[in-house]
Amino acid sequence: MTASQSRRSFLKTGSAAIGGFAMTVVAGGALAQGKTKIRFSGFVESEEQLATTLKVLKAYEAKNPNVEIIPEFSSYRAFTDKLATEAAGGNAPDMFSVNVDLLAEYAARGVLTPLTKWIPDPLDVSNYQEGSVFSCTYDGEMYAMPNDAIATAIFFNPAKFEEVGVAVPDQFYTWEKLHETAVALGKEHGRGFWGIEDGGGNNLACDIFLRVGGKALFTPEHTIGFNGEDMAKWFQYWEDMRQAGGAPPADVQAQAGDNSASLGIVRGRSAMLVQTTDSFIGIGALMDGPLELMMLPNGFEGGEMKQHHYDYAGNSTGIWTKAENKDLCVDIIRFMHFDPEGVDLYYTGSGMIPASTAGLEKFGSTGTENEKKIVAYLRMLREEPAPSRRPGVGGLGGIFRRHNEAVAFGDMTPLEAGNSLTAEIDGKLKALKS
Amino acid sequence: MSKTQNLSKKQNGVAFLFLSPWIVGFLVLTLGPMLGSLYLSFTDYDLFNAPTWAGLENYARLGDDPRYLASLKVTLYYVLFSVPLKLGFALFIALILNRGLRGLGFYRSVFYLPSLLGGSVAVALMWRQIFSYDGIINQFLWGWFGYDAPSWITNPDYALGTLVLLAAWQFGAPMVIFLAGLKQIPQDMYDAAAIDGARPVQQFFYVTVPLLTPIIFFNFVMQTIGAFQAFTPSYIISDGTGGPADSTLFYTLYLYEQAFTNFEMGYASAIAWVLVAIIGLATTVSFLSAKYWVHYGDEG
Repeated sequence: MTASQSRRSFLKTGSAAIGGFAMTVVAGGALAQGKTKIRFSGFVESEEQLATTLKVLKAYEAKNPNVEIIPEFSSYRAFTDKLATEAAGGNAPDMFSVNVDLLAEYAARGVLTPLTKWIPDPLDVSNYQEGSVFSCTYDGEMYAMPNDAIATAIFFNPAKFEEVGVAVPDQFYTWEKLHETAVALGKEHGRGFWGIEDGGGNNLACDIFLRVGGKALFTPEHTIGFNGEDMAKWFQYWEDMRQAGGAPPADVQAQAGDNSASLGIVRGRSAMLVQTTDSFIGIGALMDGPLELMMLPNGFEGGEMKQHHYDYAGNSTGIWTKAENKDLCVDIIRFMHFDPEGVDLYYTGSGMIPASTAGLEKFGSTGTENEKKIVAYLRMLREEPAPSRRPGVGGLGGIFRRHNEAVAFGDMTPLEAGNSLTAEIDGKLKALKS
Repeated sequence: MSKTQNLSKKQNGVAFLFLSPWIVGFLVLTLGPMLGSLYLSFTDYDLFNAPTWAGLENYARLGDDPRYLASLKVTLYYVLFSVPLKLGFALFIALILNRGLRGLGFYRSVFYLPSLLGGSVAVALMWRQIFSYDGIINQFLWGWFGYDAPSWITNPDYALGTLVLLAAWQFGAPMVIFLAGLKQIPQDMYDAAAIDGARPVQQFFYVTVPLLTPIIFFNFVMQTIGAFQAFTPSYIISDGTGGPADSTLFYTLYLYEQAFTNFEMGYASAIAWVLVAIIGLATTVSFLSAKYWVHYGDEG
C-alpha cells in the first residue's frame, strides 16, 4: 500500500464517519424539531411564583407532547432590559409578561398582539374583575391576559404598634392622620426607627393621593392627569414626614433598594410600608411575626372621605406580534387561566390572587393565612371600587424615585421636583404617541 | 518569483488563516456594530420601529440634558480620583512585594483576587453591607465613639467616594504589571546610587520612578480608558438607578438607561460616540505628554 493510497483511504473512512455523524445529528435535530417550541419569558415576584409557573408549564407539556415550552423567567428589572434588547433584535419571546405601564409602551410600539380575536373564545374574561381587564387594555383593545389582581396597600407590623402603645388607624383615615401616626411611632421607638418607609418615590401611592384631591396620574385617554403643583404637594408631604421623623432620612431609605430583605419593615427599623399586595406573601415570609395590611388614607382633614383604592393586573401575559404560533400561545394561556388543573397548579402557593371573581372566591376559602388576608383586602376594595389603574409610561418607578430623592437630599425643592417630573412624564407620553 | 518570496507569501497566508477567526470576529462583532451605532446616532430609533434620519439632533440635545451633564461630571470625577488612587496603591503594594518576600506568588495571587472579584454581585453586596447605614463601619463608629455616621453608600455626598475606594481596592492588574516592571530594573543601578550616597527615598525618586515611567504610562492609559467605561460598580450598588439622587450615575449607565429603559437608541448611540471622542482625546493628550515624562531605556 502506498502512502497516497493510505491517505486516500483514510480520507474516505474519515468522510464516511463524519457523514454518518452528521446524519445522526440531522436526524436527531429533525426529531427535536418535531416539537413546536414556544419561548415564554416573564418576571416573577417570588420563588414560589416561579415554582408554580414552571409547574403549570410542565403540566401543559405533559398534556401536549408535541409542544416544548422554553421558560425564561427572572426579576422585573432583568426581564425588562432583556425583553427590550430581544424585541429590538427581532428575537422576542413568543409570549411574555407585562405590567400595566409596559403594556402601554409595547402596545403603542406594535410589539404586542391584540387578543380581540380570541375573546371570548377561548379567553372568556366576562368573569374577570373589570379593573384587571382595563389595565390590560390599550386604545380600546385587550393586549394581555391578567395573571393576577393586585392593589396598593400599607403593610404594617402590628407588634411595632403594640410595643409603644400607638393605635393602628381606623379603616378610613386622613393623610394627616398617617403623618401623625408615623411620627408618633418614630418618636416612641427612638433612634434608628421610623413609623413608615418613605413612600414619596412610590407612583402607585401617589395615584391614590392625587385621587383624594380629585386628580389621577393618568386619564382614561392616556394623557397626564396632574400638574407640577399637584406633585409639589406630594413631595412636600413626604418631606414633612422625613423632617418630623416619621420616615427615615434619605440615605437610610435609599439603602432599601429593590431587595425585599433590605426593606426597613423586614429589618425592624420601620412599622409600615406602602407596597402592592403581590409582595405580601414574599415580604411576610421574611418577617418574624405576623404582617397585616390596610388601606392608604382616603381623604384630607376637613374633606370628603371616599374609597379611592382599586385592584388591577400587576402581571399579565401578552403575545409577540411576530410569534409564529399565536394560537398555541393562546392555548397555553387558556390552560393556565381556565383549565381547572392548570388554574390549580398556577395559583396554589404562588402568592398570586387570580383576577377572576371565581378565582378570588376560591382563594378566599382555601388559601393560606396570608393569601386569605389579601383576598379579604381585595374584597373590601371591590365593595366600593374606584376607577382602575390606567396605563402610563415605562420607567415610572424610576422617575418617581429619582425626584423624591432629589427633594430628600435637598437638590430640588418640592415645586422644582414636581415641575420636572411632570415635564418628563408628559414628554414621554407625547413621544409615545407621536 | 524567488523561493524566498514564495515561502514568505505562504507564511503570510498561514498567518492570516490563523488570524482569521479574530479578524472575522472583529469585523462582525466589533467594527460592524460600531459603524451601525454611528449611523444610529444620527437617527431617531426606538428599538422597535425603523430608524428615521434626525441629522445632528441627538448631538444637539446633549448640551441641554441636565442628567447627561450630571453623568459626565460624575464620570470625570470618578476618573480623576480613582485612577491615581488605584495606581498609587498598586505601586505601593508592588514595591513591598518586590522586596524579596517569601511566598511572593501567594501574596501576588491574594492581592490580585479583588480584581477578579471586583465586579461580582457578591462583592458589591458585601460592599453594601460594610458601608451601609447599619453596616460594620457605622456600628464601630457608633459603638466606640457614639458617632451617628451617615450611610456611606446611599448618601450622595459619599456614595461616589465609596465607589472610588472600591475601584482602588481592585488594584491587582496594574500591581502585577508594576511588579514585572520593577523586576526589570537592574540591581546595579541601585548599587551605584547607594555608593553615591542615595538613600532609599532618593533611590525611589531618581532610579525607580524614571525607569518605571513606561509602565506607569501604560497602566495610566489603560486604567483611564477603563474608568471612563465603568458600569458594573454603579449598576450593582445603586440597583441600576445611578442613585442616590444621580450621584453615581456613570456615563455608561445613563447611556444604558436611555437605550433600554427609555427606548432612545439613537440618542444613546450619540452618547456612546461622544464617549469614544472623549476617550480618544484623553488618550491623545496622554501620548502627547509622554515625551515630557516617559523615559525609555533606548533613549540617548
